[in-house]
Amino acid sequence: MIDRLWDIIIIGTGIGGGTIGRALAERGHSVLFVEQGPDGPRTEQTALNPGLIDPVSRLVRGFWPDPVTGVIDGQPRTFFAPLGAGVGGSSVFYAATLERPAPHDLDHSASHPHPTGGWPVNDAQMRPYFAAAEAMYCVTGGKDPLSDAPPLPEPPLLSAGDAEIMAKLTARGLHPYRLHAAVKYLPACAECFGHKCPRTCKMDGRSAGVDPAMATGNATLLDHCTVTALRGTPTRITHIEATHHGKPVVLRGQRIVLAAGAFGSPRLLLASTADWPQGCANSSGLVGRNLMFHLNEMFAIWPGRAFAGPSKSVGLRDLYHVGGKRFGMVQAMGIEASYGEIVHYLRAMLDRSPLRRLSGLVRLPALIGAKVLGNAKVFVGLMEDLPYLENRVTVDPANPGRISFTYALRPELLARRKTFRRLIRQAFAGLRPLFLTHTPELNYGHPCGTVRYGTDPATSVLTPDCRAHDLENLWVVDASFFPTAMGVNPSLTIAANALRVADKMEGGV
Amino acid sequence: MTLIVITGAGGGLGRALAVELTGRGMQVTGFGRRLDALQDTGRIAGDKFTPMQVDVADADAVAAAFAALPAPVTHLINNAAVYPRRDILDETPASFAATLAINLGGVVACTDAALRQMVQTGIGRIMNVSTFADIAPLPASSAYAVSKGAARIYTRAIVADLADRFPGIVMNDWMPGMLATGMGISHGLDPAIAARWGAELLLLNDPGLMGSVWEMDRELLPPRSFKGRIKDRLLFRPRRTARRLG
Repeated sequence: MIDRLWDIIIIGTGIGGGTIGRALAERGHSVLFVEQGPDGPRTEQTALNPGLIDPVSRLVRGFWPDPVTGVIDGQPRTFFAPLGAGVGGSSVFYAATLERPAPHDLDHSASHPHPTGGWPVNDAQMRPYFAAAEAMYCVTGGKDPLSDAPPLPEPPLLSAGDAEIMAKLTARGLHPYRLHAAVKYLPACAECFGHKCPRTCKMDGRSAGVDPAMATGNATLLDHCTVTALRGTPTRITHIEATHHGKPVVLRGQRIVLAAGAFGSPRLLLASTADWPQGCANSSGLVGRNLMFHLNEMFAIWPGRAFAGPSKSVGLRDLYHVGGKRFGMVQAMGIEASYGEIVHYLRAMLDRSPLRRLSGLVRLPALIGAKVLGNAKVFVGLMEDLPYLENRVTVDPANPGRISFTYALRPELLARRKTFRRLIRQAFAGLRPLFLTHTPELNYGHPCGTVRYGTDPATSVLTPDCRAHDLENLWVVDASFFPTAMGVNPSLTIAANALRVADKMEGGV
Repeated sequence: MTLIVITGAGGGLGRALAVELTGRGMQVTGFGRRLDALQDTGRIAGDKFTPMQVDVADADAVAAAFAALPAPVTHLINNAAVYPRRDILDETPASFAATLAINLGGVVACTDAALRQMVQTGIGRIMNVSTFADIAPLPASSAYAVSKGAARIYTRAIVADLADRFPGIVMNDWMPGMLATGMGISHGLDPAIAARWGAELLLLNDPGLMGSVWEMDRELLPPRSFKGRIKDRLLFRPRRTARRLG
């Protein structure tokens, strides 16, 4: 396995790596998946747990083992990000929300100017790949009344609670629809949002990517394998240096696909200085730069006592783009804020305030709140972040395996956030919206933009085909390639792009 | 299909559990060191009982026995144990280790072999027959007390490793009480009565049982300090009540 020359080596097995690996294995190429974490038992139902801090236990569970260090507005913070390290990457834990971006996320127009002038591959060119990715990931969902995207297969009947929420939101003049979810809804589906699915029901980088790739007989998986450096000539990757169960190994492939995530991919490129003093594929100096997240605005609404069960499946795009400004989607979080959750959020709020010693006292108002108002439904507004050179993934030479980054919240972002919150309050007025986030919350599960694609080698790292401008046999297919963060979850766009890149790779070996 | 493995099924509580569970229509495979004793159990338990001559202290033999089962194991009762009465001055490191090999090593070997099959389906039930011997060891019981106490720690370690990953695999400890068996006391409880509780507890497949501790037919809740109880009341924490069988 180690000594062989592979047609294609894929580093990372999340949505990007899993999807492209499947597409290439199905075309008969020999594919090696390299995964840092374990190929754990398929029946695990582990939920992401930021409270677990032991790196060994974290890696066993497929969590990114180490804390990440972010210097945010100049303040260093070390914390566990919601990132996976196992077959399927972070996607085995995700909520399987596979939403199409809006045309203005990719395209420039007079009415919707694009911050970068538009992606090099436009919405119309992406549409066949969005459709292919939706089919591959078994996406079901409702028709968004505000979009011209083609209809998807219908999901199972809406729960009574969600139907009532939809009616209530519609009555407020909003346009809710069933979220687009990569779930097969097999009998007794537990809707494994936030934890691993023990069956091939939730479609993720493993169930829709690596598993079917392995079934072709053309793919091989090397787990517990951490890539430490890419090596090569000025124009080619010749080999990969890695450790397998801690022992150094060298891997060789004709073509290398990097899919280690928008933290991991630039970090590996920047750490590969033996043959490229600036870092691999980094003649532009842009590797790691333009790091973006989404800003999460979480809020609870109380639609009334009669609404039973959590709302998992309602979203709307009424606030996606308002008054010439870019915001994003509003989605149900799949959490019902009963007494326990309200306590949790109120306490998290208090923990950040000087009153933190009193955090036990929030139980009383929460209990009264739950009795009087019934259970709250928690929604999140995803707000688009914009690219700035100074926001970037960094490499600590003393500790090159650790994820670290520098990020500043721009006045522009904070002003837009204020507007977004006002829009949410107005749109949900009458449903007693209560914001659960107070300081700006960056969504560390949605990093992107750090190896951007474009036509000009001076202002981008990758070609429009997601091949490195500098190297003839290196492609990057995770969310790193995004020039902008969009107003939706990144997964569908990563998957669609991976299918597109697989097509383009076929064009020239 | 349900397949129950009971260790130490050639007598005492193990035999009573085999009889009770086959009586409920279950397929039971009984492990034991003495084939004649297992065959005696089989004569009472009927043809739903399969004897397998296995020394649980021999990990290779245990692995081979689990591999030879007619179907993957779904339920395991770690019941086999020895209780050598020996003053600490008569105990040798070798005699002590021999007791550990059965009472702790047997639990580890059988649990390990069973878990390898259970993670394939994500479903399984493991119950350890346990005691309070570790809390206040009786004289002339050192190896027994240490090995049974360590087995309880093993259960808690498995909770730490598996509970969040495999909610369908449920393990718990059960103290059957003082029984009128070879290992117990002459005026103790009829093992057939204890076996009814044990069978009922084994067949409960509630993920909430993971790591729970039961004495006879009732659950023992983890102790809560006085301060903790006051806090619970003040903060309106829902009160936990001990479950009961039947």
